Amino acid sequence: MIDKETKYDRQLRLWASTGQANLENSHICLINASATGSEILKNLVLPGIGEFTIIDDKVVSPQDLSGNFFLKRENLGQDIATSITSNLSELNTDVKGHAINQSIKHLITKVESLFWDQFNVVIVSDYSPELDVVKDLLWDKRIPLLIVNSVGFYGSLNLIANEVTVIETHDPSRLYDLRIDCPWPELQEHADSIDLNSLSDQDHAHVPYIIIYIKVLQAWKQEHNNLPPQNYGEKKLFRLLIESYSRNIKIEANFTEASNSIHRALQVTQIPNSISKLFENSNIKDENLSLTTPIFWIYIKALKNFVHLNNNQLPLPGNLPDMASDTAGYIKLQNIYRAKALKDQELFTHEVQKILDSIGRSHDDVNTESIASFCKNSQLLYVSQGSKELYGTSLLQELLHSEQASENYNALGVYFSILTYNAYIEKFNSKPSIQDLETFSDLFFQKFSIDKAEVLPESILNTFKEVLSHNTQNYHNLNSLMGGIVSQEVLKLATSQYTPLDNLFVFDGIRSFSEKWKI
Amino acid sequence: MLAMSRDFSSITSILNNIGPFNEVPDEYSPQETINALSSSKILVIGAGGLGCEILKNLALTGFQDIHVIDMDTIDVSNLNRQFLFRAKDVGHSKAQVAAEFIQERIENNHLKITPFFGRIQDKPVEYYKQFDVVICGLDSVEARRWINATLVSLVDNELNNLIPLIDGGTEGFRGQSRVILPKVTSCYECTLDMVTPKTTYPVCTIANTPRLPEHCIEWSSVMEWPRNFGSQKFDADNPEHVEWMYQLSLKRAQEYNIEGVTRLLTLGVVKNIIPAIASTNAIIAASCCNEAFKLVTNCNPILDNYMMYSGDDSIFTYTYAHVNKKNCPVCGNMAKNVTAERWWTLEYFIDELSSKLEIQMKRPSLSSSSAYLYLRNPPNLEEKTRPNLYKKLSTLIDDGNEIVVTDPNLPISLRLVVNFSGPEHEPL
Repeated sequence: MIDKETKYDRQLRLWASTGQANLENSHICLINASATGSEILKNLVLPGIGEFTIIDDKVVSPQDLSGNFFLKRENLGQDIATSITSNLSELNTDVKGHAINQSIKHLITKVESLFWDQFNVVIVSDYSPELDVVKDLLWDKRIPLLIVNSVGFYGSLNLIANEVTVIETHDPSRLYDLRIDCPWPELQEHADSIDLNSLSDQDHAHVPYIIIYIKVLQAWKQEHNNLPPQNYGEKKLFRLLIESYSRNIKIEANFTEASNSIHRALQVTQIPNSISKLFENSNIKDENLSLTTPIFWIYIKALKNFVHLNNNQLPLPGNLPDMASDTAGYIKLQNIYRAKALKDQELFTHEVQKILDSIGRSHDDVNTESIASFCKNSQLLYVSQGSKELYGTSLLQELLHSEQASENYNALGVYFSILTYNAYIEKFNSKPSIQDLETFSDLFFQKFSIDKAEVLPESILNTFKEVLSHNTQNYHNLNSLMGGIVSQEVLKLATSQYTPLDNLFVFDGIRSFSEKWKI
Repeated sequence: MLAMSRDFSSITSILNNIGPFNEVPDEYSPQETINALSSSKILVIGAGGLGCEILKNLALTGFQDIHVIDMDTIDVSNLNRQFLFRAKDVGHSKAQVAAEFIQERIENNHLKITPFFGRIQDKPVEYYKQFDVVICGLDSVEARRWINATLVSLVDNELNNLIPLIDGGTEGFRGQSRVILPKVTSCYECTLDMVTPKTTYPVCTIANTPRLPEHCIEWSSVMEWPRNFGSQKFDADNPEHVEWMYQLSLKRAQEYNIEGVTRLLTLGVVKNIIPAIASTNAIIAASCCNEAFKLVTNCNPILDNYMMYSGDDSIFTYTYAHVNKKNCPVCGNMAKNVTAERWWTLEYFIDELSSKLEIQMKRPSLSSSSAYLYLRNPPNLEEKTRPNLYKKLSTLIDDGNEIVVTDPNLPISLRLVVNFSGPEHEPL
């Protein structure tokens, strides 16, 4: 028996045990047992999703075998969904795989709509317009849908989700919320208790810069109408003022550090626009709160109430950067920040509970860990509203009249070529090849209702030709690359960590280049 | 059902049809391309997270003569992404198990995968000449520098013996892939300063004023382990060693009221663990193999020459041509200028040099055009040149002189022009 902590060590460092627990509780559905789909599931079975289901009614053909590593020669002629499920299951005994050997068209008429509720994310590989009905259904059920296509050297990915919210975004900029400009009473008291002049040289060289900043900023404000440094010139003077507090800047590492990081001292404590905008969201209007409101929005409502009670400040995250200091001084400071963070968390929890009570919801719907995580990340929350459409008029306009597209290349052309390719297969029941260029172009004009008088730019025509010349859906390098990208998105959605795509992505394997758009 | 073997129908349209972006449409011949693909010899260095993916991709896209080198054996923590390995394979050679698995799954008599369980440095330079392309999926900077320098050294001035090197690397949700045409594009050494250095902490912090859990672990690892165990090397794969390190770090943390020392963190710090997932390896390996495929088949242009990928905040790629460094010690032809203070001893100079991001040499030996300054080997020369370490560099060579730096672990000779500045004596 292998212990999970060792087996999953390299990924726990990315999403910790909370993310892993979410992953292990997730059920992912794949429609169409393509090579791309198999690669996606491989990348999800390995890190240990809970369950997966493959829906496909085909039997394994030599073409399937040709580009799919998770089919064996002995599977030729067998049900493809069952074959891939069994071959993937070897990878991780913790994961349950299911095969449904029926066509999606048939299945969707047969199963109750409740059937879909078991899935956290649904993936369609090699889209066909006839799947629009699945797309509509999942949209209504608010289940995220990923649509991935791979044709020749090109790939595309749509994330179709009503709304994506993320608390643990792992923001790479790592700003620390230190509140130098508005210390709360305990922090102010601590700063005041340190008298720089009476310290020994040894202690003076170990005062953490937070204390130095609080003192120097307050001294500055007294001389400047209670205002912090306003412009570049003043910031330079402020730096000099910090250095003037040092007994010898050459040997006092804490003052050198303070002088090098003044952006921390001058960071203004305020609610980011992205967050205050959420307070206006209709989801948190009293009349819209209900037993089914996502907890995220309950938290936002509570956050809005919290900042009203808390001088218009967000809950303090409570973490500190490392800084030159002796151990005791640093730990003391850390405890002051942690205590404040905990106090904020308690006040916030109280607000959450009041809301839950007001709508008759159980307190068990929230837990301390998720509240703590929300409070730590309340400046960095991510919310995005999606679209059900695969394209819109503005995207079409950009395709036809983009200033950015070069004479012989247009990245959006890749996407519309793929959409036309899928429509062609549905209409003619075969893959278009380079001989079909004219029919293909006609279909493009027809499908996107483009005026025939419109002259197709060379750049778009070239992507048509590329797609038709290299018309395989099983070029394994692209299958595997797109499979990796899709599985990253599923991991982000399933762990509820990191920021997902919003919401269209195209990869060009000729230029090794990608672009994205929001529909 | 007829027992057909796995065919290449998935790529026939790519091989048979000339697309609009093909750069050599007049010379392109489908039959020659198919021959080129099946006869080309390709070397995969590393059979880990990237290597497993690379081998699978090559085998499914028409390559038939694949060689793979890896010195490692399979560990439990590999199983979350290295999909050619099962729990029963733990302890066996990665290269051998991977090669066997691919052969068994592909079931094609024409596919030959040749594993080598060992270090790349164990093979003579001649060995590398047989390959048409080399793909690296490694986590070691040193091994990459070695193969890069070796392949660059094979190329002559007419660009004969040019073997393209395709290199991939990942960390968490991020990665990069690049194509190196030795002596044509920038090489691995040209971009050495882009490698993220290992986080280090000042000794005085570790020893006297620890504040973070990492400081406590570094104290156990850097100061206490050698003090307790002398020359015995710490082995991060030995559970007893790790437990000792963890307990001691925990004790120190408790003494200082520092929270957060865990077994996970201890292992992360002492092993310098880089987070890794299958998804990112799949993306980067596929990008590398796509480039190898285009290189060998000429069906479409290749990456020029660097792609960065990041998936943690939406999806983002950045593709650009990294330019060669004229003073690159491997592919450049100019010496690099360095400035030294006149009061520096040779030892001080070597310390400064080794820690520079674009140099990173662990055991450098130095010579000037007329004399050995300091040599690590052989022992008699080491002894003879050792006294130089304590002399001022400015007494050993003249201002503007060129010196050559080598390291036994790397086939690189770095040419430096030393310019002196500053005072004769160390300022107080």
